[in-house]
Formats: sequence, C-alpha cells, structure tokens
Amino acid sequence: MVEEKRILYEHLDVPDINTFDVFRQYDGYKRFEKAIAEYQPDDIAKMVMDSGLKGRGGAGFSTGLKWSFVPRDIKPCYLCCNADESEPGTFSNRYVLEKNPHLLIEGILICCYAMGIETTYVYIRGEFTLGKRMLDAAIKEAYEKGYLGKDVRGTGLNIDIYTHPGAGAYICGEETGLIESLEGKRGQPRNKPPFPAVEGVFMKPTVVQNVETLCNLPFIVGNGVEWYTKMGPTYADTRNDPPTPDPNTGTKLYCISGDVNEPGVYELELGLTCSELIEVAGGLRGEEVKAVIPGGSSAPILTHYELDTRLDFTSLTLAKSMLGSGGIIVMNETRNIVDCLLNIMKFYAHESCGQCTPCRWGTPWVRDIVQRIADGGGRPDTITRPKFGVTESGRWGDTGETEEIYEDLDLLESVANNIANVDTMTWNTICVFGIAVSWPAVSYMRKFRPEFEAAIREGKLVTLPVAEATVPPEENYAYQQRFIPKEFADL
Amino acid sequence: MALVKLNDLEIEVEDGTNIVEAARQHGIEVPHYCYHPGLSRPANCRMCLVETFTSPAGSEMPDRQLATGCTTTVRTAPPDRKLDGKYDFIVRTDSPRVKKAREDVLEFLLVHHPLDCPVCDQAGECDLQDYSYRHGHDKSRYLEVKNVPPKKDLGPDVLLYSTRCVVCTRCIRFAQEVSGTGELGLINRGSHDEIDIPRSHEGTPLQLLDNKLAGNVVDICPVGALISKDFLFKSRPWFLEKANSVCTGCSVGCNITVEYKADGVYRIKPRFHEDINQHWICDDGRLGYHYVNSDDRLQLPLKRVENELAPTHWADALSVITEQLSETEADDIVVIGSAQATNEDNYVLQQFAHDVLQTTQLGLFGHPLGEEHKFPQFTIEADKNPNTAGARTILGSANGNVVLEGDALWEKVSGAKIVYLVSGGPERPLEDAEKAALENVDFLIVQDVLQSEATQLADVVLPGTTFVEKDGTITNSTGWVQRIRKTIDPPGEARVDWEITQQLAKQLGGEMNYRFAGEIAIAIAENVSGYADATHQNIGDAGIKLAE
Ligand SMILES: Cc1cc2nc3c(=O)[nH]c(=O)nc-3n(C[C@H](O)[C@H](O)[C@H](O)COP(=O)(O)O)c2cc1C
Ligand code: SF4
Ligand code: SF4
Ligand code: SF4
Ligand code: FES
Repeated sequence: MVEEKRILYEHLDVPDINTFDVFRQYDGYKRFEKAIAEYQPDDIAKMVMDSGLKGRGGAGFSTGLKWSFVPRDIKPCYLCCNADESEPGTFSNRYVLEKNPHLLIEGILICCYAMGIETTYVYIRGEFTLGKRMLDAAIKEAYEKGYLGKDVRGTGLNIDIYTHPGAGAYICGEETGLIESLEGKRGQPRNKPPFPAVEGVFMKPTVVQNVETLCNLPFIVGNGVEWYTKMGPTYADTRNDPPTPDPNTGTKLYCISGDVNEPGVYELELGLTCSELIEVAGGLRGEEVKAVIPGGSSAPILTHYELDTRLDFTSLTLAKSMLGSGGIIVMNETRNIVDCLLNIMKFYAHESCGQCTPCRWGTPWVRDIVQRIADGGGRPDTITRPKFGVTESGRWGDTGETEEIYEDLDLLESVANNIANVDTMTWNTICVFGIAVSWPAVSYMRKFRPEFEAAIREGKLVTLPVAEATVPPEENYAYQQRFIPKEFADL
Repeated sequence: MALVKLNDLEIEVEDGTNIVEAARQHGIEVPHYCYHPGLSRPANCRMCLVETFTSPAGSEMPDRQLATGCTTTVRTAPPDRKLDGKYDFIVRTDSPRVKKAREDVLEFLLVHHPLDCPVCDQAGECDLQDYSYRHGHDKSRYLEVKNVPPKKDLGPDVLLYSTRCVVCTRCIRFAQEVSGTGELGLINRGSHDEIDIPRSHEGTPLQLLDNKLAGNVVDICPVGALISKDFLFKSRPWFLEKANSVCTGCSVGCNITVEYKADGVYRIKPRFHEDINQHWICDDGRLGYHYVNSDDRLQLPLKRVENELAPTHWADALSVITEQLSETEADDIVVIGSAQATNEDNYVLQQFAHDVLQTTQLGLFGHPLGEEHKFPQFTIEADKNPNTAGARTILGSANGNVVLEGDALWEKVSGAKIVYLVSGGPERPLEDAEKAALENVDFLIVQDVLQSEATQLADVVLPGTTFVEKDGTITNSTGWVQRIRKTIDPPGEARVDWEITQQLAKQLGGEMNYRFAGEIAIAIAENVSGYADATHQNIGDAGIKLAE
C-alpha cells in the first residue's frame, strides 16, 4: 500500500497553523532565516536548479531554469504568485491559502531573497474569498513580526506582498493573462516572446510561480537538495548524448476527484502509477475504470489500458498527455465520454478570452458540434479519408490506407486541430489555451470513438461497456498524437 | 540590410521590417487584419501566418515554424548563423502549411459572419471578401447557429454592424493610440466579444465615438463592421473614380483621395504621407466636402441691377468690370488674393495686379483662425486655410508688392474705389469691420464659390471653383507644396479662378496666356524664390518640401 508523503501538507491540519506563533513552532520562517544566514542569493538559485523542481502550475517548466532567464541588472523585478487555480479538477492551492498561508509567505520570501525581488503580487482566484482573507491576515502578521516590509528582520531586505483578487476568468491563470489582469486590463494573454521573465508586470522582469511551486522552496532550503532529489524518479533523457538527467523530483499535491471513494488532495511522491493513485484515494467507486483525466481538464484522457502510466511530468508527456496541474478525474463505467467532452467544451467555450481568431470562434464551434452529437443531431453521413498510423518506414504518418469516418467526427477533429494541432503540436493561437481545447477534444474522440459513433448512429447518448467504448492501443492512431503529415514533411 | 529569401525571390530588406511589409514591397500579399502600420501589433487575428526558417544554435536543420508575419521582423544574422550559407532569413508565404493555415483562419472568421455582402457598404473593398476569394475555402462546414450581435450607433458618423466584426481591435487601438480618446472597447468575452462604447447598465451611451478623428476607424476597419453614415448606401465603391489630392480644410495639408462620380464628390479618404498626416485625416476634412455639391453654389456671374444681383453672362460681367477698372486710378484699386486659392490662382492674380493694373497694393483674404485640436499622434491646425503660406509668398513675390492682411487691409479697403476680392472655400461669414469696409467700396468684385455675405455686397459676382474642380498646388504650414487635382466639372458656368483673372487681364490688354495650371507653376518656379523645384511634374503625388 502506497503511503502519502506529506511535506507541504504535513502541518495543514494542525490547529491554528495559520497563525504566526503556531507556524513558528513547526519550523516556520526558520528555513528563510537559514537561507539568509547560510546562503548567498545565487546559492539558493543554484539549489533550486539542482533540486530539479518543476513548476506545479501546469506547464511543468524547470523553476531553476526560469529563474536563470531573468536579467539580473534590470530592477525592479517582480514576483507574481499564481493562485488563480481554476483548472477544473484542481483544488490543492486553496488549502494552502486557507489553512497554511504562512508557508506560502515563507516560500515567497525565499524566492524574493534569491532573485533580489522587493515586490510580490499574489493573484488569487476571485472565488477564494476565504483563502484571500486568511492570506491577508497572515501577511499582516508577517509585517507585524518584521518578516515583511522594510528591512526584514534587520537583514536590509525590503519585501512587500500585495494580494489581488481575480474576477472569475480562467484565462487569468495563464501567466501573461494574469499579468494583464493585474495591471488592470482585460485578462488577455500576451504574445510571447518576450516571456514574463524578461518583460512581465509593468514591462519589468517577472517571475511567475504557482503557489505549490513556491511552497516547495522552504523544504528545499531547509532539508537540502540531496534530501529533495531522493523523492521522485529522475529519468535519463536519451535524446542527448550522453543522456542528461530528467528530474521529476519532489512530491505533488494530486487532486483526485470523480469516481473514487475518498476524493481529495493527496500529497505523494512523483512517479506513482495511475492505479496506485486510485488506490490511495480509497479505490474506485464503481466496477471498472473507464477513463482518467491525469492533469486537469485540458490534459488528454487516459484509457483503462493506460492505468500503469506513472503520473509524473516525463511519463505523462511520453504518454502524449500531461501532468498539468495534477487534477486527476477518475471516471467509471457509467460515464459517457461524449457527455464528459461536452461538459469540458462548455467550460472552454465560455472561458476563451476571445483574443485570437481560431480559439475565439473555434472553441464554441467544437462545443456546438459535440452538443449536436449529444443531442442526437449527428449526421449519419460518412466520408473516406486517409488513415494515419505507423507507416512502412516505422515512422508515424499517412499509412496509404483509408478509413470511413462519420463526417461530424472528422469535422470535430479537424476544427479542434485547426485551433491547435495536437498531431504536429503546432498552434496558431496566442496562448496554449488553444491546445487545452483541442487536446481533450481530439483525444476523447479518438480514444472513445465507438461511443461517439454510437451517439451519432443511435441519435442519442449511448454509454457503451468499457471494453467496447475504448479503442485498443493497437489502433495507435488514438494514442499516438504526434506525427508530421506527409505534405509537411518535405522541406 | 538583411538578405532574405522570400519564396523564390532573393531580396534585400532593412533590419526591423516585418514580413508583411517586406513582402508587400515586393508585390507579395500576406493577408492580415489586425496589423496596421500605424498602430501597435497585438497579433490577434492570426491571418498573416508565414513559414519561417531559422537556424537554431548548434543545429544543422533549420527550424521551420509558422509565425505571424506582422510581428516577425527581419534581422541580419551573425556570420555563423546564415542559412544556406548566405541568407539572414528564409520565409515562405506560399507553402502548403501556410496555405492551409490561412484557409483555416478564414474559415473561423466566416463562422459567425452573416455573409451579407450584397447589402454591405464595404463590399468591393473588403479584406474579408478579398482574402476569402484569394485564400479561403469555397464552402462552409459550419452548421450551428450563428451569433447575431446587435447593430450599434456609435457616434455622429459611425455605425457598427457587429455581425461583420472580426474583432481585430484596430478601432480600439486607434482610439487609444492615435486619437487618445479611448471611447471604444470590447465587451463580453470569447465568441461574444463585441466592440462598444461605454454604456450604462440600461444600455444608454455614456460616451459617444465623437472626436474629430473618429472617421478614421471606418477606414481602418478591414471589414464592413464600421460604416460611415455619410457614405451609407450612397454608392458601390467600384463605381467611384479616384484622384489623389490634398485636403483644403486647414493648413496641415493632409493627403487625400477624392472619390467621385460625374455628379459630385462621394467621399474623401486619407492617403498616406509620412511627414504630414501618416494614415489619417480629421473629420473636418473628411466630411467638409459637402459645400462642393451644395445647392448654394454660384453657377452664373451676377451683376447688380437696381440694387438686386441678377444673373448675367460672362462677356457682360467681364466687360462691366473692365470698364470700371480702366476708368480708375491704380492707387484706388485693391486686389485681394486668397489663402483658400491655389498658388496658381494667386500668381495670376498678382501678375494681373502688378503688370496690368500696375498696383502694388494687394491683400490676403482667408478664413479666420479657428480652433487647434491636438491628439497624441495628430494635430488639426487653427489656420483653417490650406494655402496661407503659399498665397502670402506668391502675392508678395513681384517687385514692390505689399501684401496687406487683417486691420491694415480693411483700412485700405474702406478707402478704395474698386476692390477685386477672391475668396473661395466653404462659407465664410464676414466680421463687422470687414463688412463695413466692403460696404464703403464703390465697386466691389467678388469671386467666390458660394453665396455669401461678401457676394451680397458685391456689384459683380464671379463664380469660381473649389479644390475638386481645378488643378493646382498649395503650400502647407510646414512648407510642403502639394498638388490638388480636378475631379469633377464645376457647376453651371463657374470657371477656374486663374482663368477668370487671366481673361480680365487680356481684356485690359495684358499679355498673359497660360493654357493650364502646370504652366503657371513653371512661371512660379522661375520667378518665386524658394519655388524653383515646385513644378507639377516634380511635385507629383508625394509633394516637395520647400527649403527652410
Ligand atoms: C489556460 C491556462 C490556464 C492556467 N491556469 C493556471 C492556474 O490556474 N494556476 C497556475 O498556477 N497556473 C496556471 N497556468 C500555468 C501558468 O501559465 C504558468 O505556467 C504557471 O503559473 C507558472 O508557474 P509554475 O512554473 O510555478 O508552474 C495556466 C496556463 C494556461 C495556458
Ligand atoms: S488562445 Fe484563446 S485564450 Fe489564448 S489568447 Fe487566444 S483566444 Fe485567448
Ligand atoms: S469593428 Fe472593425 S476595426 Fe473594430 S474590431 Fe471589428 S473588424 Fe476590427
Ligand atoms: S487636419 Fe486639416 S488638412 Fe488634415 S484632414 Fe483635417 S482639415 Fe484637412
Ligand atoms: S496581422 Fe498578424 S496576427 Fe493579425
């Protein structure tokens, strides 16, 4: 039986841990004091780099590497803490804010010290009123105790934290949308480059970091890099010669919901398999696992064939999905995948910021197609199209064979791919919201195509038995979502 | 300069140029909506996708990417990063990938579009129509329900057909960056994005799109969403003739295109001039042309008979004038040129005064100072005359000429026996002192285009021409000499101003025989200091700037 490994959440349930005095009893702010006493700022940055810490907000980008892009000679430099947590299926940051806000403040202090930052903005999801209240109270206490403000604890550091509530838009979780919103504008993501590390808040270098990422910092500093890297697998990236280490270190706050007996946030070492996670969460509610969303609603879905996939950054990327925000949604045999996709597409159609053409008008179109199929309005017409798969050369591409497909399913796939192409992994949109739309749309349709076909054929939603509903991995067009179509392959 | 391989062309491009412009310079169209050279670049329409090839450090294979042509700029690559050994940049605007991406974006753009081209003013000059035709699919795969956002009245001259909007935000950016008035914004989100002005919760406008640059948003709207009420349903654009000209609304001298048919002027559009007006004009200039088509235009010469002005024919009007002139001492005659008239008109007038009437007492008449309007990227000047600088120089160009203006002029006028006043331009009310002075004149000749207070006082009225009915040059406040062009015929028997003056000169024995305005410009070039290069040929469409 897999054990929880509580680090960030270790003291979450200690009564009054949200107050300075109780937090202090549990090593509170001692890691920050240690950082200042024992290390130079650059040492901290190096420790973070060496720890292999990857961003927990969704992109899984190496935190140390991100810090290394920040120009040191341009001041002021800002820290933005992303507490907008709005990815469906994700709810781990809110407990930190509500129950242990001093931990976040300590993480922020360490980051500020390492990066020479004096001003931090915590952008909090508007609905988190309790979380904001608790954090504001903790910040107030920290000011009173001299851990924030001018000349922090006599070190000469000046560090201020401001909290800023969002107004209910999912897209303000995207780092540049967040920055625009913070600056008082419409929450519309910016074109990149320049990345926030170079030009962020008020056009100054900005480190944007998720709550969970920042909460890891006290433990990396407190317990050391070696202790930290022992948690979670480190793979070898054999694309490089010699292979480079590919760390998936530390723990992850997995938010497990859906058809499990004990849904909730579980802090576990990275690298456990999907089935193990379901066990941790009290086991499946129902007979059979039909599907698992591994990383928030934008992640491509996993089928029951993929339950031994390890839920870490690298393994899920290799499985053509992603760990994303760690929001895991388990679905049992009673769930209809067409219905699930409709639910998710309604969300995305509502949340597209509307800035760029493909996403603005493509996302509601995808929703409408799924809605029509779910309502029984799918057209029975079929078309013949080239079939993709492993070609004679052993590479992925056009197999030269053809397949019959319902016109509406072809349309669904094509419209989604026109927003952001999951096969070529190219997108014509300003931000990756586009791929967050087409990833579920295409993966649900390809992996559970029989259920979509049944809905069209029968003119209503039909929930098939798991084995029938799922396309087996041998039909690898559904699982393999990254190839270069023929016409693009030649230079 | 960077060496760029653009499709199969090898071209030199200045560093910092974006792909849309680099391609345009070589006759290749990169379709685009949100990009406008005069505005910031949000890269939101995704129409301008091109395929770029760059060489990442340490890699043999070039990196092929779809990139937005509006924000991708050309840079000279370091020697070790050249592509194919010599190119700084390789870009294709015609690869299968680019073509497909364009088709896809166009498909999205038309998803909610009402396809109402048959009743849309923009049809024929619409980027959505043109790009769909050149780069799009021939049929739609969209079966769902279309959004139908409401039509909105945004301000005095601008209507918004929201259904046709492609949300490129050009109009919003214009109001933020160029006019600085910021009346426009987006409301709602995602596919329900709508352009709007500030409104109360009940929907009553709190602020209208009512600034003097507002009309420009209609020009820059790439589709038929923003429409000018002034032009609404007046004509299909392809039925309009076009001529390059200059606005005569103030001393800025904005470059314009006059769009007209035989029966009149239909609209005025801005024309790019880097140093004068960039891409813009003001609404005074845009909508100020109506006097040209007005019913109040003078069409026949008028002569005072028993205290009433009555129509007459040219021969009669001119002989009445020559009779009076030949009987009067030169010192008692004042000839007044116009800041509304061309350099050519004024040159012939001063030649007539100096050589034929042998008076050196000239005046300069024009519209009184108006209001100056300053915007972040545009200024409308207070001098509402297009040619004050030119008229002043040219009237005073002959030996001994004195050009009187303001009080000095009206003092002189009130003591004169004959005054030959050339006016022109839109209606110009007289101030009391001016009126009193003119009333004192024994014999007043007024040459104008509209019935006015001045013509009411005249003994003979000569119908002249407006800026769209004649060729000539005008000089703006910053010393640019630019050409206006004849587009339509003047109404009735109205004549070009300098021709009228020349006819008078001839009848008084003067030797003047210009056949067209260009000849006068050559005379100006020979005789007026500073204007040596200002022949029509040299001026062309771009104008020339006088030496400081
Ligand atoms: C559409 C979209 C929504 C996102 N929402 C969140 C969010 O709610 N919370 C979050 O921390 N990161 C979110 N991200 C990821 C951020 O853009 C960014 O990568 C992250 O805040 C960086 O912090 P990290 O490196 O610590 O993960 C979102 C990204 C996208 C594209
Ligand atoms: S991809 Fe969607 S969410 Fe992202 S900027 Fe474009 S319209 Fe906005
Ligand atoms: S109204 Fe015209 S200019 Fe404004 S956003 Fe829409 S399409 Fe663009
Ligand atoms: S600024 Fe002056 S010249 Fe330019 S359009 Fe307006 S009135 Fe005409
Ligand atoms: S013109 Fe380049 S994205 Fe709109």
